[in-house]
Amino acid sequence: MTPLSVLIVDDDPALLQALPQALRLRMGGVTVETADSATAALERIAAQDYDAIVTDIKMPGMDGLALLAEIRTRRPETPTLIITGHGENELAVHALRGGACDFIQKPIDRDYFVAALYRAIRAHVLNRRVKDRQQALACCAEELERVVQKLERENS
Amino acid sequence: MAMLGTMIADASAGAESRLRAQIATLERRLRKRDEQRRAMLHIMGDLNESNKRLANQRKAMLHILADYEQDRRRLARQTERLDNSRRAVLHILQDSHKDKSRLEASRKAMIHIMGDLRETTGEMQRREQELRDKQEQLVQAGKLATLGELTTGVAHELNNPLNNIGLFVGNAVDLIELAVTEKGQIVGELRHAMQQVSKATEIISHLRTFGRAAPVNREAISLREVIARALSLMREQLRLREIEVTVDLGPEEPLVVGNEIQLEQVFINLLTNARDAVAESPRKQIRIAAAAGSGVVEVTVADSGHGIPPGLERRIFDPFFTTKQVGKGTGLGLSITYGIINEHGGTISVVSPPGDGATFLIHLPLAPAGTKRASP
Repeated sequence: MTPLSVLIVDDDPALLQALPQALRLRMGGVTVETADSATAALERIAAQDYDAIVTDIKMPGMDGLALLAEIRTRRPETPTLIITGHGENELAVHALRGGACDFIQKPIDRDYFVAALYRAIRAHVLNRRVKDRQQALACCAEELERVVQKLERENS
Repeated sequence: MAMLGTMIADASAGAESRLRAQIATLERRLRKRDEQRRAMLHIMGDLNESNKRLANQRKAMLHILADYEQDRRRLARQTERLDNSRRAVLHILQDSHKDKSRLEASRKAMIHIMGDLRETTGEMQRREQELRDKQEQLVQAGKLATLGELTTGVAHELNNPLNNIGLFVGNAVDLIELAVTEKGQIVGELRHAMQQVSKATEIISHLRTFGRAAPVNREAISLREVIARALSLMREQLRLREIEVTVDLGPEEPLVVGNEIQLEQVFINLLTNARDAVAESPRKQIRIAAAAGSGVVEVTVADSGHGIPPGLERRIFDPFFTTKQVGKGTGLGLSITYGIINEHGGTISVVSPPGDGATFLIHLPLAPAGTKRASP
């Protein structure tokens, strides 16, 4: 299995140092990349498909909500988590409606964060698996259809 | 007959001798009389002389008497005049006595007035002190209002370092629990945490200094630092709103005599206003510039916002006047700013050409040449 890759987007350089390290320590074998603005993040997303994206909601320029909307159109599959300030419930609800799969409040509880990230990735993986299975099933169904038709022709 | 003759001779001899004697006597008497006459004549002459002298003396006497009389009359006149004068003096004395009592009354009245005046002065001083207290309270209230507006932004600012500290320390704990033997990594995490702690401390201590009800003392302060400190409190808010701030204070190091906190409040107020003014603008820009002239430094704070509606330029410095929505502004910011600048002997005005944003113009007197900066 290929190692998980996560993109973290925030305008605070200290957080871009602390959070990836926390993930590396807690989630063995995860690759963490960082972007210090939404525009930098979009460039990276265009180049690579991440297993999850974590973005701060408050950033100068394009903020987290706008970035989320962009991600939803460019990489609708990629689970996106939004970091909000403490007590910004309205913004969190906004983010969930906008398609975020979860929100994390600052100050970040690492256990919660890692669990949420795992959950998101697992959901993503399961989704993909379901889709794969669906596709496989569709293939099987097609195949069966063809077999049935063939048999019908032979019988007739 | 002889006899007779004798007798007659005798008798004539006797008669002759007697006659002779008589003649002698008469002669003597005559001489005597003559002497007497002469003496008398002498005496008469003397008398005459005396008489003449007497007459002269009498005349002299008469003269003297006349003189005397004249003197007497003169004296009488003088006496009369003197008497008049005396009476006049008496009058004057009486008048002066009256005057004196009037004066005394005036003096007493004056003392009363002085007492009243002193009381009034005391009252005035009390009022003045009260006013000063009120003003300080108002400044404090204004500061707290400014603080209140700042708090939301600052809370976010504080949340970031706190969050980072949690993460760095958590990482260190993880490293220890994972029994990582390499110390450097753990120390690195903790160092990062320390940096974030000092960042948070800086924010808090600055807020505390700003909010403290400090006595308003005056010292020579650097305008550059005041502006830098105000900007540091506002930076995060301005950054998040993508407001571009340019500061051009020129090559000089302008010193003004004043209160650091109050002047900082001036710039926080102006920056807060500018921040709100550019909120809806396509181009969000705030420019702070300063230029020191002779004895005066001119500071401009200009924004690229929608400007001030015409006719309101005068009112914006009125207390409780605000164009912001209810609950968004106290309407005190600019009035307090105005008061502070006034107290510093300066002036503040605003120009807002239509469609060109507002520019606040502050003139502050420079500290006298050679003034040493107070230690920050």
